[in-house]
Amino acid sequence: MNERRTCVPGNAAQLPVLTQFLKEFWAAAGLPPALAPSFELSLEEIFMNVVMHGSRPGTAPRIELSLLLADGGISMTLEDDGPEFDPLSLPQPDVEASLGDRRIGGLGVFLVRQMMDVVSYHRVEARNQLRMSKRIEAPEGRTDSPSATDGRLA
Amino acid sequence: MFEIQLSSAGQVVMAGRLDATQCDTALRFLNALAEPGVIDLARLEYIASAGLRVFLITQKRAKGSGGGIRLINANQQIYDIFRYAGFDRIIDIARAAG
Repeated sequence: MNERRTCVPGNAAQLPVLTQFLKEFWAAAGLPPALAPSFELSLEEIFMNVVMHGSRPGTAPRIELSLLLADGGISMTLEDDGPEFDPLSLPQPDVEASLGDRRIGGLGVFLVRQMMDVVSYHRVEARNQLRMSKRIEAPEGRTDSPSATDGRLA
Repeated sequence: MFEIQLSSAGQVVMAGRLDATQCDTALRFLNALAEPGVIDLARLEYIASAGLRVFLITQKRAKGSGGGIRLINANQQIYDIFRYAGFDRIIDIARAAG
C-alpha cells in the first residue's frame, strides 16, 4: 500500500472526502501522526485553489489526489483538468503588514511552502500538476546525516 | 465536525475543524456578535488559510469599533500556523498552558 489515488469533482463539498482519504492512508501506512497536519493543511490549500481558480464557467474540474511513499518521504500530488494555473506564481503575501493592510490572498500557498520540503508545479498534457513532498524524519537523529544516506545504499 | 457557541461567561468557544467548508458558519456567528472579545480555541483541532481569514475579518471589524479579539488556549500546531502567517503580530493569541 505504497500508493493510493482517488478522484473527485472540484467542489468545496468534496474537501472532507479527500481529508478522510488522507487520514485512512495515514493510518493504513502507519505514518507518524505528527506529520499529518502539514499534509491536511496543504491538501486543503491546493484543493481550494483549484476549486476557486480552476473552473471553466459551468463546469467543475476533476481533481485527482495521489499519495505515495518513496525514498523515506511522503509525496502528495493534486492534478486537475482545469485551465492552466500555477499557484506557485502567486505573489508572496506580506506577513509583516499591519492589520489594515492585510490581505488573505496567497497565504495558503505561503503556508504550504512552510510545511513542505519540496513544492513543484508542472503543466502536463493539459493538466495542472502540483506535487508536494516531505521527508519522514527518523525518530532518533536526522535523516539527512551521512549514516542515513549509507543506510539507503545497503 | 465544527462547532461554535457562546459560553455562559460570554466567551466564544470553537471546537473541531475550521476548514474551508465551515468558514461561512463561523463568520456568520461572529458577525452576529456586536463586540467579539475572547475566543477560546482549546478544542479547535485544525485550521488553514480559509480559517485564518475568519479571524482577520473579525479582528478588522472589532478594531474598527475600538475593540479587538483575544484568542486563548490555542494548541501548539494552531499557534504555529498563526505565527507562520504573521497573525501573532495583528491578533492577541495565547497558547494553551502546559
